[in-house]
Amino acid sequence: MRVILESKVRAKPNLPIEAEAIIPRNFLKGTDLVVYEGNKERTLSELFWIFVEGTAVAPENIEVILKGDTSRIKRVGEYMDTGSIVIEGDIGMHCGNFMSGGTIEIRGNADSWLGREMRGGTILCRGNAGHYCATGYRGEKKGMQGGKVEVSGNTGDFCAEYLAGGTVHIHGSAGDFPGVEMRGGELIIEGDATRPCGNMKSGTCVILGTVHDMLPTFEKIERRVLPAWKITADVYRGDVANRGKGTLCVRC
Amino acid sequence: MIEHDVVCPFCGCLCDDLEIETEGGRIVKVQNGCALAESTFMNDVRLPAPIRRTETGWEDISYQEAIKETAEILQGADRPLLYGWSSTHGEAQSVGVHIAELIGAVIDNTSTVCHGPSILAIQEVGHPGCTLGQVKNRADVIIYWGCNPVEAHPRHMSRYTTYATGFFVPDAQRERTVIVVDTRRTDTAGIADEFVQIEHGGDYAVLSALRAIVRGKASVIPAKVAGVSKEQLIRIAEICKTAKFGAIFFGLGLTMSRGKYKNIRNAIELTDELNRYTKFVISPLRGHGNVYGSNEVFTWMTGYPFAVDFARGIAFYNPGETTAVDILRRGECDAALIVASDPGANFPRAAAAHLAKIPTIVIDPHVNATTALSRIHIPCTAAGIDAAGTAYRMDGVPIRLKKVIDRGYPDDAEILKKIYDHLNGGKGP
Repeated sequence: MRVILESKVRAKPNLPIEAEAIIPRNFLKGTDLVVYEGNKERTLSELFWIFVEGTAVAPENIEVILKGDTSRIKRVGEYMDTGSIVIEGDIGMHCGNFMSGGTIEIRGNADSWLGREMRGGTILCRGNAGHYCATGYRGEKKGMQGGKVEVSGNTGDFCAEYLAGGTVHIHGSAGDFPGVEMRGGELIIEGDATRPCGNMKSGTCVILGTVHDMLPTFEKIERRVLPAWKITADVYRGDVANRGKGTLCVRC
Repeated sequence: MIEHDVVCPFCGCLCDDLEIETEGGRIVKVQNGCALAESTFMNDVRLPAPIRRTETGWEDISYQEAIKETAEILQGADRPLLYGWSSTHGEAQSVGVHIAELIGAVIDNTSTVCHGPSILAIQEVGHPGCTLGQVKNRADVIIYWGCNPVEAHPRHMSRYTTYATGFFVPDAQRERTVIVVDTRRTDTAGIADEFVQIEHGGDYAVLSALRAIVRGKASVIPAKVAGVSKEQLIRIAEICKTAKFGAIFFGLGLTMSRGKYKNIRNAIELTDELNRYTKFVISPLRGHGNVYGSNEVFTWMTGYPFAVDFARGIAFYNPGETTAVDILRRGECDAALIVASDPGANFPRAAAAHLAKIPTIVIDPHVNATTALSRIHIPCTAAGIDAAGTAYRMDGVPIRLKKVIDRGYPDDAEILKKIYDHLNGGKGP
């Protein structure tokens, strides 16, 4: 089954919409869902033109497609466990929060907190992602714990903060402090990064581009070939400011 | 008439030993206060009556009319923002939180542009702090990091640190070691025993290096970290480790420079590390008189210290998403109520520009830069001058602000209660 949601033109286009109801499983029972615009409660049909093609008996066969101006829609795919969501344009904050299964594809850019506290599944962002891509919530001890986030473009600051499991693959560059407080999982940045992996405890980070302002508290262990990336890299251990046993590999 | 033990409401020090002389309902002399305190009490020029913007200028309106129009604007908004709160007393702040909950607004205080990052760091790793009295009586090593108390908190050093005689530090000036860390040589640096000049944005690296040295990993540290020599870092680590009681104070140089809350987190973790050797504490130097109080009031009412979004009826908190600057910058909010602060002068241009586009109401005793962006300005009492109320000092100690004179203005808590009544069909909070 395919559900196409096309955003309607709004009088106040900057107002955020909170739409955690938009996950494939919810469309099994119909399209009578509630979303929030600013401090007002709205039905899905007040904000979207809804087209449903075919039928489905299980949520994994449901594909949700978002069209139109979706850049202010937050929490799409929150607690999603199966099925797929395709966003044709940009998407707002908190896309794929707590996601445990299924796939989300974003053809445009994603705003901040993409895949926050993700447990499983796959997020593919064709454009750029904002700050706090694949991280946790304020004060949480664990960020993303499983699954895969792949960003074709660049990300903002604090990418993969508190990463505890899963894979984050950034094809472009990351901003300030990627992998800060990392305690597990794998972070790959093909472009440049500034001050990577501050205060990391565990996990692996590979940077293929240039590192700006390398932190002084990483201990250089060796220089070795990484066959998976076909590069020679300097391997650092850290962060020695704590008892860190993380691995940071920087192309040399 | 001379009033003793008056509390100065200007900065987070809330000095409570001022003597103020009044004559015929006017303040004529301020004693014991710093230059900032004197100016707060003496240059208190108020807006005489509520004003509303017209097409060509401003017109005077009655309090009743101003309150009614404010309530109507807030009632009709889809994403109202209530911002400010840090220069008024807790009584007004609590009514503000009630209004936010009633209308599904976002409520934020000035922490968002000052020590918000400190709060984020404290939420991650906790706060090893103490009251200023402890520092005064015990601390023999004082570190000022990214702050300039000589100019911003002029009596901090004489009341609590460098020049204050303490029970266990009787000869303060000789017994206390003062370390100043900054990107440039400030006036505070001039009286430091050890001045550490770091490159702009290098705080995080220097703090990480100090942590590693304290942990015994000095061998990893390169010869120079962000412009600071390894020898100096080792020397400072040694001073800290051999202290009887150390206290770190930090300001916006640490919270608002590159890395933001990660800088503070690193400083807290350095404090944690030093506690393996001696007693060490860390505290933010708060700016506005009652900004700590706004954090306290918001926390006991909503669970969160700033940036609380009630749009869904429950409190949601996520700085970066629900903070005033971000909401304004993204053009989300469609009405704003500014109380006891001046975002027009302090916010980034894009955020201030949005305030000018939407109906903005200011409740503040003084005309300020936000007045120029607003639709209605309602004058009120100034807490600590002509209104009594509760404020919290920078170390979390509540202090009762005194009413020194009566200038005939209504209290901002009263104005806010009336706005609440209008919004709630006549039923107060």
